[in-house]
Amino acid sequence: MRKKQLTMLVMGLMLVPFLMSTASAKTLKIGSMGPLTGPYAADGNDIKNGVLCAIDVINDEGGLPGYDKIELFPQDTACDPKQAVAAANKLINLEVTGVIGAYCSSSTIPASATLAEEDILMITPASTHQDVTDRGLPYMFRMCGRDDDQAPAAVKFMMEGLNAKTVFIVDDKTTYSQGLADGVRKNALLKGMTVKGHDHVNQGDKDFSAVLTKIKRARPDVFYMSLQNHASGSLMAIQAKRMGLKAKILSQDAMYHPNFVKVAKAAAEGIYVTYGYTDKSTPAYQAYAKRFNANYGEIGAYGTYAYDAAIAYFKAVKMAGSTDPAKVKAALLKLKYQGASKKVKFNKKGDSGSSYVAFVIEDGEYKLHWTPMDTHQQKEY
Amino acid sequence: MEYFIQQLINGLTLGGLYALIALGYTMVYGVIQLINFAHGEFFAAGGYVGVILLNYFAGLGFMHTHPILCLTGSFILTMIYCSFLAMAVEQVAYKPLRRQSRLAALLSALGMSIFLSNGLMLTQGVFDAPYPGELFEGGFEFGLISISYLQIMIVALTAVLLVVLNILVFKTRIGMAMRATAQDKVMSALVSISANRIIALTFAIGAGLAAAAGIMVGLYYGSVRYDMGFVPGIKAFAAAVLGGIGNITGAMLGGLIIGMVEVFMAGYISGQYKDVAAFVILISVLYFKPTGIMGENIDDTRV
Amino acid sequence: MIQEFKKIWKSYAIGLVWLFGLLWPLLGIHPDGTLSFGKTFTVWLYIACGSFVCLLLYLMNKSGGLRVVTTPLAAARDKAGTFYGTVPVWVWLGVALVLACIFPLFTSRYAQDVAINVLIYVCLGLGLNIVIGLAGMLDLGYIAFYGVGAYSYALLNTTYGMSFWVCLPFAALFAGIAGCIIGYPTLRMRGDYLAIVTLGFGEIVRLILNNWMELTNGPNGILGIKVPSIYIPSFENGFHFELFHLKKLYYLYYVALFLAIVTIISVYRLNYSRIGRAWESIREDETAAELMGVNTFLLKLLAYAMGATFAGLAGAFFSSRMRFVSPESFTFLESAMVLCMVVLGGMGSIPGIILGVAALIVLPEAFREFELYRMLVFGLAMVVMMLFRPAGLIPAQRVGTRSEEKEG
Repeated sequence: MRKKQLTMLVMGLMLVPFLMSTASAKTLKIGSMGPLTGPYAADGNDIKNGVLCAIDVINDEGGLPGYDKIELFPQDTACDPKQAVAAANKLINLEVTGVIGAYCSSSTIPASATLAEEDILMITPASTHQDVTDRGLPYMFRMCGRDDDQAPAAVKFMMEGLNAKTVFIVDDKTTYSQGLADGVRKNALLKGMTVKGHDHVNQGDKDFSAVLTKIKRARPDVFYMSLQNHASGSLMAIQAKRMGLKAKILSQDAMYHPNFVKVAKAAAEGIYVTYGYTDKSTPAYQAYAKRFNANYGEIGAYGTYAYDAAIAYFKAVKMAGSTDPAKVKAALLKLKYQGASKKVKFNKKGDSGSSYVAFVIEDGEYKLHWTPMDTHQQKEY
Repeated sequence: MEYFIQQLINGLTLGGLYALIALGYTMVYGVIQLINFAHGEFFAAGGYVGVILLNYFAGLGFMHTHPILCLTGSFILTMIYCSFLAMAVEQVAYKPLRRQSRLAALLSALGMSIFLSNGLMLTQGVFDAPYPGELFEGGFEFGLISISYLQIMIVALTAVLLVVLNILVFKTRIGMAMRATAQDKVMSALVSISANRIIALTFAIGAGLAAAAGIMVGLYYGSVRYDMGFVPGIKAFAAAVLGGIGNITGAMLGGLIIGMVEVFMAGYISGQYKDVAAFVILISVLYFKPTGIMGENIDDTRV
Repeated sequence: MIQEFKKIWKSYAIGLVWLFGLLWPLLGIHPDGTLSFGKTFTVWLYIACGSFVCLLLYLMNKSGGLRVVTTPLAAARDKAGTFYGTVPVWVWLGVALVLACIFPLFTSRYAQDVAINVLIYVCLGLGLNIVIGLAGMLDLGYIAFYGVGAYSYALLNTTYGMSFWVCLPFAALFAGIAGCIIGYPTLRMRGDYLAIVTLGFGEIVRLILNNWMELTNGPNGILGIKVPSIYIPSFENGFHFELFHLKKLYYLYYVALFLAIVTIISVYRLNYSRIGRAWESIREDETAAELMGVNTFLLKLLAYAMGATFAGLAGAFFSSRMRFVSPESFTFLESAMVLCMVVLGGMGSIPGIILGVAALIVLPEAFREFELYRMLVFGLAMVVMMLFRPAGLIPAQRVGTRSEEKEG
């Protein structure tokens, strides 16, 4: 008989999430999505904190007209497509009007399809895969750059900035890293560079000695390290240094993270990364950095983009005077201002332009090393 | 040739690390026939306590004056910590289930593994913690071949532990009691061997080995992370089974084989299929010898 | 009694001291060379108070101090039990079916989404139940078949444009074949060797899905998979059948419900068939079963294939619902999750597994608000469940008595 009691208990508990619903007329509800647990938890937290920081700033400025407060519902995707869809449905239920997220391209793609059914606006701060905005979803926006802009920039930098003739590419088989690695290979071959090899490692690997030995034997000018996550990146950097690898190491935006340098320490010195250009002297960035550092610690790779995505959304809501998706979209497309990370201006597809430049790590800091053009002009549409 | 030797060294190091973790797996399995999924978490906890202690010593300023002493101290304290952690886990999560079906204990172990890794995440944060290992960097260079001190240390430690464990199990009274308990708990109780004590001791030794592996991994790879126990845990489990689970030398051999296969697969074919190669080797060995390389023919052990 | 309580309190105290010892190094040693106790003590105090209350309740229950509460509850339970017993089973099943059918009418999207997940995992859980609950083979790579089913539909649909209902048998077939391929070499192994080999196979399948760029598009996954569609009669412009895409979530819910019901009925029928009996005999004693003329080799292979078939069905539906598949959905952790559902619910018991699935899907969702503590609580809950109900929430009722129970 006891099992019946248990059955009832479990059934009762099942009802709990469905009964929880909060309604308040004057609250602007937005959601954020990102991996808050699992191997990419660090990046997911960056995104959440960036959005929270944006809300702080807006509140300091007196909030949004017509709304008492802004409420954020952070959702965990664990970088798993299924959980991402569940999180999207949860956000639909919570009646959010805009979503900032997600991190992994493979989460953003299915989640955005779900959100699109209810015409909820989504701005991704971190998913760089082409398909995120290329599918023609009406309410999908992107604050970061695109893989197919970053790869040519990386190749250009290798040829012009590093005078390299040969390259060895390694990726870790994720949508993001492989997309980028394939792009680099294609562009390098197109521009007449020799690709000495293109190898893969698996996500979650710790030991890269075998692959690094291979690179050492191939003696390329540049080793292009395309990894999803800065944690694996620092492991690879340390092992490369220990192995005595002579090639220059070039990596991408995921390695633009304070923890990458903190873990890799001396091994990070001299590593190049391509990353969206951020003018750190602008008042917008200064204000953001001060705010973020005070409340949430060091700024990670995607925190700034998440902050800008949220600010852009608030600005658009303010301009449109409502949260109606069509109006907000129209307002977003009209936006043109200096954000913390870049000049924010969306094109019809939902992309906001890329401005990839190369940084080099010196004395534990990311220093601007090379820009594709004379001025730090964003690629505009 | 130089390339081959370098890959051989890489394989030995990786295999040594797997073997260190697999030794703990196999000891626990040998005594109570439980696949201890939480073993990987003892390994991660070891890595974390190690980095905490090393940082503490560095903060006190001892690190530069007595690096070897600090390292030895951290090793010993961490191994003690993990032994206590393992005994607590055994008392809470496994001991009450000893008479239940093995699946219940397996799930309890899986739950404990999730609990411990998330506990580590909550107390230590989601970022990877850097190891203050610069003092132990360096190594030998022979032409294109490079061997680091840490690699030598890993292989040496594994070899020493293998000998020590073999002596412990086969030459001492405690080892005899362990083997007796493994064979027949009721009978060994009749000759006044406390099964509870022996099992707790086995867990303690196994977790101590995992802790040592945790620090070695931290030093060698430069950082630790709350979820670092999972993948090596599975690999070490595979290594233990490959060698014949319950057999100490077998676990060592299994670890080395898995490490070598992975490295050579990545070095000569492609890195993306190295895990496939490791599992294919495991499956084909088990197909021809279903009890592993050094396993004895035990009778029906069922789920 | 008093003696026993003393013992319990003593071990509780030791446990708390032990816990403090384990917590302190993690929280109280700082890299700048200082030690602190404040934070550790706060955390420890929370845990101590919480566990104290739990222990107190447990002891009161044991000594009868809670009789005031438990007696009426027990009476009500007994009454409910008698009532439950008097009404025929088919009435309950009917009520459950009706409730399941009208569920989307009064629930929100999110609830439907969770319900669809529950139904998918019911198929998976019951499929795994054949392998593990009936035939007694521990399978840690079960999710591979789910992946095979999902990719079968995804590929057939995107390359050949085949419809969901046509692909469904194919997905089941492919998964079944995969089951045979994986099952064949593992049949010689038993127990834990079987566990690691199936785990290995599961990982191999996932890695192949992730690495075979030409076929599966690797980690990018397959986009643009169609949702199921049905033909509905239409009377405009004369009578004909019109293609109707089941895009709304609650349509998909009904498809999932249909699949789950098919699975439940098939597994129920299998359970009480000759084959089911043969599987049980293999689980209880393989040697004896063989002696009695049971073809153990064929039946074990069949168990794998049948289990895989249901996973294939669930997989095909999964990819049609997500309209996107990528290898990330088929990791070892998923296999472990399905295994947990089966064991937690009670191996071999159909209502138990349904309950186990519901509990394991819904509980983490309920704790979504506390994202950080979600998995911590989940892990702990698993341990506690196993400690208090090692045979599962609703243990299977087995036929006859067994020797070990008599000894027990």
